[in-house]
Amino acid sequence: MDPSKSQLMQYVPVLMLAVVAVLFSAGTLAASSLLGKRARRSAVKDTAYECGMLPVGEGNTRLSIKFYLVAMLFILFDIEVVFLYPWAVNFKGMIREQPGLIFGSMAGFMVVLFIGYIYALKKGAFDWKQ
Amino acid sequence: MLAWTIYISFLGAALLMFLPGENPRPAKVAALLAALAGLACAAKGAIECHLHAGAGALTDVANANWIPELGIRYHLAADGISLVLVLLTGIAAVAGVLFSWNVENRSREFFALYLALIGGVYGVFLSVDLFLLFVFYEVAIIPKYFLIVIWGSTRREYGAMKLALYSFVGSAMVLVGLIAAYVMAGARTFDLAALAKVHFAPAFQNWAFIVVFVGFAILAGLWPFHTWAPTGHVAAPTAASMLLAGVVMKLGAYGALRVAMTLFPVGLHTWQNTIAVLAVVGIVYGALVALVQQDFKFVIGYSSVSHMGFVLLGLMTLTQIGLSGAVLQMFSHGIIAGLLFAVVGRMVYDRTHTRDLAVLQPKNLNQVLPFAAVTFVVGGAASMGLPGFSGFIAELQVLVGAWQTFPVFAVMAAVGILAGVAYTLRVLLKAFFAEGQVEAREPLHCPRISLPERAGALLLLGTTLLIGLCPQLLLDFITPSLNSPLMQPLWKAGTR
Amino acid sequence: MNLYLQYLTALAPEVIVVATALLVLVMDLVLVREKPFAQRVGLTGAIACMGCGLAMVWVELVPCSIHSAMLSVSPLTQWVKVPLLLLTIFAAVLSWNERFTRHAGEYFALLLLAAAGLMLLVSSESLLMIFVALELLSTSLYALAAFDKSGVASSEAALKYFLFGGMSAAFTLFGISLIYGIAGDIQLDVIATRLRGHPVEPVFYAALVMTLVGFAFKLAAAPFHLWAPDVYEGAPTPVASFIASGSKVAAFFVLARILLSAFPGARGTASLGGHLPGWAPLLMVLAVLSMVAGNVAAIVQTNVKRLLAYSAIAHAGYALLALLADRRHALSALLFYTITYAFTVLGAFAVVGVVEESGRKASLADFAGLSRRAPLLSFCMLVFMLSLAGIPPLSGFFGKFYVFTAAADTAPKLSLLWLVVLAVAASAVSLYYYLQVLKQIYAVAPAPASAWPRPALSARVAIVLLAAIVIVLGCVPDLLLGKISELLKSNSF
Repeated sequence: MDPSKSQLMQYVPVLMLAVVAVLFSAGTLAASSLLGKRARRSAVKDTAYECGMLPVGEGNTRLSIKFYLVAMLFILFDIEVVFLYPWAVNFKGMIREQPGLIFGSMAGFMVVLFIGYIYALKKGAFDWKQ
Repeated sequence: MLAWTIYISFLGAALLMFLPGENPRPAKVAALLAALAGLACAAKGAIECHLHAGAGALTDVANANWIPELGIRYHLAADGISLVLVLLTGIAAVAGVLFSWNVENRSREFFALYLALIGGVYGVFLSVDLFLLFVFYEVAIIPKYFLIVIWGSTRREYGAMKLALYSFVGSAMVLVGLIAAYVMAGARTFDLAALAKVHFAPAFQNWAFIVVFVGFAILAGLWPFHTWAPTGHVAAPTAASMLLAGVVMKLGAYGALRVAMTLFPVGLHTWQNTIAVLAVVGIVYGALVALVQQDFKFVIGYSSVSHMGFVLLGLMTLTQIGLSGAVLQMFSHGIIAGLLFAVVGRMVYDRTHTRDLAVLQPKNLNQVLPFAAVTFVVGGAASMGLPGFSGFIAELQVLVGAWQTFPVFAVMAAVGILAGVAYTLRVLLKAFFAEGQVEAREPLHCPRISLPERAGALLLLGTTLLIGLCPQLLLDFITPSLNSPLMQPLWKAGTR
Repeated sequence: MNLYLQYLTALAPEVIVVATALLVLVMDLVLVREKPFAQRVGLTGAIACMGCGLAMVWVELVPCSIHSAMLSVSPLTQWVKVPLLLLTIFAAVLSWNERFTRHAGEYFALLLLAAAGLMLLVSSESLLMIFVALELLSTSLYALAAFDKSGVASSEAALKYFLFGGMSAAFTLFGISLIYGIAGDIQLDVIATRLRGHPVEPVFYAALVMTLVGFAFKLAAAPFHLWAPDVYEGAPTPVASFIASGSKVAAFFVLARILLSAFPGARGTASLGGHLPGWAPLLMVLAVLSMVAGNVAAIVQTNVKRLLAYSAIAHAGYALLALLADRRHALSALLFYTITYAFTVLGAFAVVGVVEESGRKASLADFAGLSRRAPLLSFCMLVFMLSLAGIPPLSGFFGKFYVFTAAADTAPKLSLLWLVVLAVAASAVSLYYYLQVLKQIYAVAPAPASAWPRPALSARVAIVLLAAIVIVLGCVPDLLLGKISELLKSNSF
């Protein structure tokens, strides 16, 4: 059998899924427009439903750059902690055999982090008054 | 010894490039010394080769590993044909410097580029590794462009760019052919002698030959790819047009003979008639167009196309006498065209600032510039092919060879010679001896013909006379080389 | 313990470069913050150069070789880092006199991080590492391209570069995931063994195309070249030169690694007659489009930086020919070509940078009469332009010649000759626009009463050195070629 055909056959379920998805979305839309009751449209009815709040004002409010800075720093330092987990898992086993390595690797990591902290500090990222 | 022709030229160019100051005199002197030293090396090398090897076979000049990865060697060698052309280059180089003695504007750069061009030309004539030959061939292109675009005259930017692009397209074709031959041979070598022994498949030879041949022949002014030549000559400064007609066009013919014809004899056989037709068309067309030009330099430019047609026709005869005539014509035309361009560009144009024959006519130049007039008369006579000059023996040989191979073309080429007589006489009368039609004779004050000009003119005149009276001097180099092993495939292809 | 130490030794050059980047940042912030700007740039730039130099010395002196699932450190990959580091040093030296930013420390730190990305890219063994290194490189370059905060063009360049780059990175990642789906691994040589005898089926082809899209973007190969002219023109000149040189060498090398070591069986054929699917026909399309589009568009350019950008597109096309050649010559031709090209184009950008410093733009007319005022600089520009045009005896000529010969030599003999003919014809056309630049420099009279470049000593030395490299490697290509072929003989990658 032609190998390319066999491979394409494997994708038939995907194709079916796609067809079903399209049919379903198109079908529900069609069904609602066919079966649903027509009502008169008005401005109030056309506004987006926002948990009871009235949607007024600009869509994009301006925030101070400080928020972004802090958010970014938070994410950075927060994510770094993720790297501590694999280290901690291996810690018990390695501390006996290779104490220097397990210490050195984390020390190096921390130094890089620390430099990042100093950089943020010196650049005035934490200085809210400016 | 011969290799020093190349080194001296490039060293001179480098030296001039870094010479301090704007004073033109040291630059001129250095350039003249370099050119003379090159000529001396060429002459000494030629004599040595002649004495030791009988000038027939290729004599090694330098041979060293260069790029082992691709089997490329730095291999210089000379046989009789290349020796003749090296001598031509030496003479033309010296004459060119002498006729550029009045270059005051950026003369350092001028002579540096000039010597770089000369070095490249020497290199092409001496290389037998085809990669090396191609390198030198391309090295010669760029200085031409700058010489014309900086120091040129009429429509220099157009002429320079046209010339550079034509040359580069030609060399691109050559490159394709060389790479294809290298790959097909599969011997990991670019050595001419080694590649000439390979029997390429006929189908391959048929296209490879025409690609490489036309690539080279573009530079030799093969009709209909000649159009760069007249515009380039007209735009170029005197020395550059002397070299352009004198040696650069020979690069093309030499490459066509040495590379295309030697490597692909079967292809040569296929295309022989076609190219011969083009060559004859070039002879007749060039001469006829020269007959109606108003610009003095265009006349000489088209006459070059016509004369180079003889070279190509001679190559296509595939007879001993025709080929020997072709090589001799390369030498002879190099000298004569250089002389004529020197008269037009240096002696006349630099003084009168016009090349329009109608403007020159009332100036009665034979009174004002008698030396120029005499030089042009003699040079014109040589160009027409009068006996006693080198052009006669060369064109005679070509015609005899052509008569053996294709008689009809020989007759047509002879018509071209007649037209050559006509345009030479016409331009001679218009530019120098127009007394009968002179109405308002304006007094013309111009500087006398200077010593370097006289020396250069005498050098060129003496050479053409010497070879005309005693062609054996060069034929002794050429004839044995035509029988060398390298050329054997040609004769085999030639026998029908 | 030993294994980790071994890794550390193998990666020491990268570690040194990254550590220098951090050091530069801290130095600039802590020690020299209050000093005048010239001193800050001088000090940080000098440290950056020394860091690269140290890494180079390490690469040269400490031989090591590791082959793991992530990294492959061999004499060849280590050696390729030398020209990359040299290019970084030259770019740093050329930045010394630029005044487009106040942030000296960040600038050099980003340059060094980009260099670290290049080095990691070269010795990555798994597709994922390649992607990570590519992103490290790209992210640094996006930021560097935007460094001229006062200029709108710089921001525009960075944004275009970023948007195109992000898009193509997404394609590459998708391609990599498809490859993982097919081969079940991301390690290059494992992929090769798994895929042995595997037919080039539609999904595999899609994977190849998508992976190539990302690389074609990095190489500025048509039709993924649209960012190049704007970025080359808008980005600060030293950054543009680095984008044009260093990132190309590394990207070509790693592309060759992926194609030749992971997909040797899926080559296909690029000859006109045969129709075997694989990556060779894809590269062929890229090469043809790049050569044609680059050269044709370059003819009408009036800005020298844009002209260099289009010429870079054309050169990417020539270099792709090398990849189509047989394995024996493909890598050495590619390496020789890209390395010499990188030095040449860096030099050309350096000259443009010097001219811009005198308050000019980089349009053709701004170069008019340069030879009268700066003969040495003009001569160097002559060397660079002619080398790009492929005139002997400059390195650009031999690079092209070798690539063309290798492509023509591909079995079956002369099957790729039509590509070679196209390339030779394209490079004959290219002479026209390179001569336009040189005509301005040498033949056109200078505009009266205008400021003329007085290049700083460092820039002058750098430019002359680059020109010397271009000339020497052209006259004695064996210096570089011998080394490359020796390394290739000892190990394939």
